[in-house]
Amino acid sequence: MSDVASLTVEQVPSRRDFLHALAAVGTVLVAGRLGTLDVFAQDAAAAGAVINAYVAIAPSGKVTLQCAHSEMGQGITTTFAAVIADELEADWSQCEVVYSPAAPAYRHPVYNWQFTGNAESIRSYHALIRKMGAAAREMLIAAAAVRLQVPAAELVARSGTVQHPPSGRWVGYGPIAQEAAQQPVPASPRVKPESEWRLVGGGRSLPRRDVPAKVEGSAVFGIDVKVARMAHAAVMSAPTIATKIDSVDDAAARKMPGVLAVVPLDGVVAVVAEHYWQARLALEQLKVSWRATAAPLDDAALEATYRAAFDKSTGWAQAETHGDSAAALAAAKHLVEVEYFSPWLSHAPMEPMNATVSVTDAGVEVWAPTQGMQMTQIVLAGALKIPPEKVTVHRTYLGGGFGRRLLADFVLQAALCSKAVGRPVKLIWSREEDIRQDWYRPAFLDRIRAALGPDGLPTAVHHRLVSPTILAPVSPTPVKPGTVDALAVEDIVASPYAIPNRRVDYHMLEVPIPTMVLRTTGHGPNNFAMESLLDELAHAAGQDPYQYRRRLVAHDSAALAVLDRAAELAQWGKAPAGRHQGIAFADCFGAYLCQVVELSMVDGAIKLHKIVSVADPGRVLDRVNAASLIEGGVVWGLSAALYSAITFDKGHTRETNFDAYRVVTLPDTPELVTDFLENRNAIGGLGEVGPVCVPAALCNALFAATGVRQRRLPLASAKVFTEYGKIFG
Amino acid sequence: MTKFAFTLNGAPAEVDVDPSTPLLWVLRDHLGLTGTKFGCGIAQCGACTVHVDGQAVRSCSYTIDSVQDAKVTTIEGLTRAGPHPLQQAWIAQQVPQCGYCQPGMIMAAAALLAERPKPTAADIEASITNICRCGTYARIKQAILAAAG
Repeated sequence: MSDVASLTVEQVPSRRDFLHALAAVGTVLVAGRLGTLDVFAQDAAAAGAVINAYVAIAPSGKVTLQCAHSEMGQGITTTFAAVIADELEADWSQCEVVYSPAAPAYRHPVYNWQFTGNAESIRSYHALIRKMGAAAREMLIAAAAVRLQVPAAELVARSGTVQHPPSGRWVGYGPIAQEAAQQPVPASPRVKPESEWRLVGGGRSLPRRDVPAKVEGSAVFGIDVKVARMAHAAVMSAPTIATKIDSVDDAAARKMPGVLAVVPLDGVVAVVAEHYWQARLALEQLKVSWRATAAPLDDAALEATYRAAFDKSTGWAQAETHGDSAAALAAAKHLVEVEYFSPWLSHAPMEPMNATVSVTDAGVEVWAPTQGMQMTQIVLAGALKIPPEKVTVHRTYLGGGFGRRLLADFVLQAALCSKAVGRPVKLIWSREEDIRQDWYRPAFLDRIRAALGPDGLPTAVHHRLVSPTILAPVSPTPVKPGTVDALAVEDIVASPYAIPNRRVDYHMLEVPIPTMVLRTTGHGPNNFAMESLLDELAHAAGQDPYQYRRRLVAHDSAALAVLDRAAELAQWGKAPAGRHQGIAFADCFGAYLCQVVELSMVDGAIKLHKIVSVADPGRVLDRVNAASLIEGGVVWGLSAALYSAITFDKGHTRETNFDAYRVVTLPDTPELVTDFLENRNAIGGLGEVGPVCVPAALCNALFAATGVRQRRLPLASAKVFTEYGKIFG
Repeated sequence: MTKFAFTLNGAPAEVDVDPSTPLLWVLRDHLGLTGTKFGCGIAQCGACTVHVDGQAVRSCSYTIDSVQDAKVTTIEGLTRAGPHPLQQAWIAQQVPQCGYCQPGMIMAAAALLAERPKPTAADIEASITNICRCGTYARIKQAILAAAG
């Protein structure tokens, strides 16, 4: 589906020196109003002098900060801007945040690709945007030196002013912004030492800029967009996977009130009408005949495909090897051989996929809740045969993303509808369509062999992992079949543990089902496998699971500190009678994470008491926001552990809405205790960290409580429920 | 197409739509109030929660013909008398992450508080069943307890 994967490395734009590109950014700010609710509209005239790609300052002193990333609940539009504002020494109350355009200046500094995801919006951009803020600060100081006729070395920037302490004179940023913009761009701007951070870090939190509008109901999500002359579209996709349209009888549908057009697309038929419900009613009048292009799938056949892969000699690639695991396993006196399974999952963000697109001769305008702004440009440009620069992407708030909105399939559907009717079209997927047309997180099946040494610690661990790709559809460079999917093997490669012999083999399974990355990437399923395995090994060795892990990270004081703090907060080993604890650890997204789940069993059902999370992401820029992300992530992890699964029957998913695709709600959420350490050297991510250790910690606690080892998720599939969840049984 | 008249956030409203149109889409598409959100269409998620004659209702599954002459309140109407304690608590506790489910959550919580001004944690667990994919439940509970005072 994606044209991106077919781009060669040479075609992907080469990396540029961002600071030197800043001189040419006059065109970066574009005027654009988002219908009548212009939360993130850029107003070039009002923004004033463009100092660099990220900073503009108006004569009034108002600072406009560009956020390269999409706001989907991670608080990025506040924190990203605060990092820049801190280096800039701006007055935060004078700062306004806007979404940047989809443009080269805002691309990921290493991948040279603009997207929001992989818990790396801050950690990948942090150094760059600090330099942007610092560069702007130095240019303001240089301009103030001229204005005040004093040496720049005597000037101090603070809170939106440049001050000259010897004389007491000062000048606000506003009056010198134009002159600052003319200054030479400093080659090596000096970022502040952390001791001088005022807005971020140091336990501080800023009230999120987007929260009041989200509480009032005025925040504009993609589904809320209104543009002049806008029509609405609803779609019907094939009832089974890998199925094409044979023919469409739209005579009755076209007669329905408000209908403008019936537009057959790729595997999907759209109805465009004046109002959304009119489009939905007309959909019901369509008579479509479908043609399956693959044999109907079911769970048994799919799982058989996974299992058959283990016996194949081709298609396997080595992801990692240290030492000689074959020899260590052969020599082992105590061998453990287990298999762990994580199911297919659907992204199911609260806001279903939607996009508003206007296709005209002048170009294409998109208003969408997208994580894939550049992907959107590339896909629409390819399909409409226009240059990518002619696709203007206006981003809205996102009602969750979790990776799904990295793709542009739903945007393309809207674009083709707009082309068909000659008007802007807002296309909305029903929840059923959102699940049916998902690119699922595929099931993971990991066969593991581990050997224990005389001290009970593992001498060797060999993973053989089978999964369809999760990286290919979102990668700007091609991912070849038969190779290692770098995201799929996360958590089992680069283990934080001192296990001398390690090997990871990966088989990229080909299936006729669209698959892609979902929040937690490979860490989700693989941490469940690895941390459950470690629990099995600890028990086999007769050792406490917390102490077992301490021994395996004894070489890493930061990892030890996270383990110890979690054990302390959880009062590990001191749970009241009848309560049981499970522990798990991860090195994920640049953060260490340890989680402890405490539960008891009541008439065979789980009663969750408390979940402790301790994370070390290097630096916590916003304490409240970081805690929210971890806690919300815990709930995501609980959903994966307890309920969520996409299952297949006769070529279609059984689950099409939240009645069957179950997720955790408030009654299932226990007490959450969260803490942070900041010992790691580099800044790590948080957005996908919270869920990672929950499934293993929960199942490890369950083992402690019941003596039964769960090696397949979700627990609902084994009829293991919480007290509340029994109603789903 | 049929005309329907009702009171919306204290003011008269009238629309001319197919009688099967859910109240949700009347509010969003015909009356321009997009605070009430579409999440599932089958009354499972609660993102579409409004008040009809003081009761919390999932408007995706409530057709327009059910609100003839009724009093409807949406999230936009909650602050007619000034900032609502729930909205203030939601901001103080920094409850929302993506925020998409929050109008429905707040409307469900408002209905709970109207019926039970001092809910216990158990009361909240029993009555707030809206789905939040960002998982903000812990803060939601704290905010409701804080707003109840």
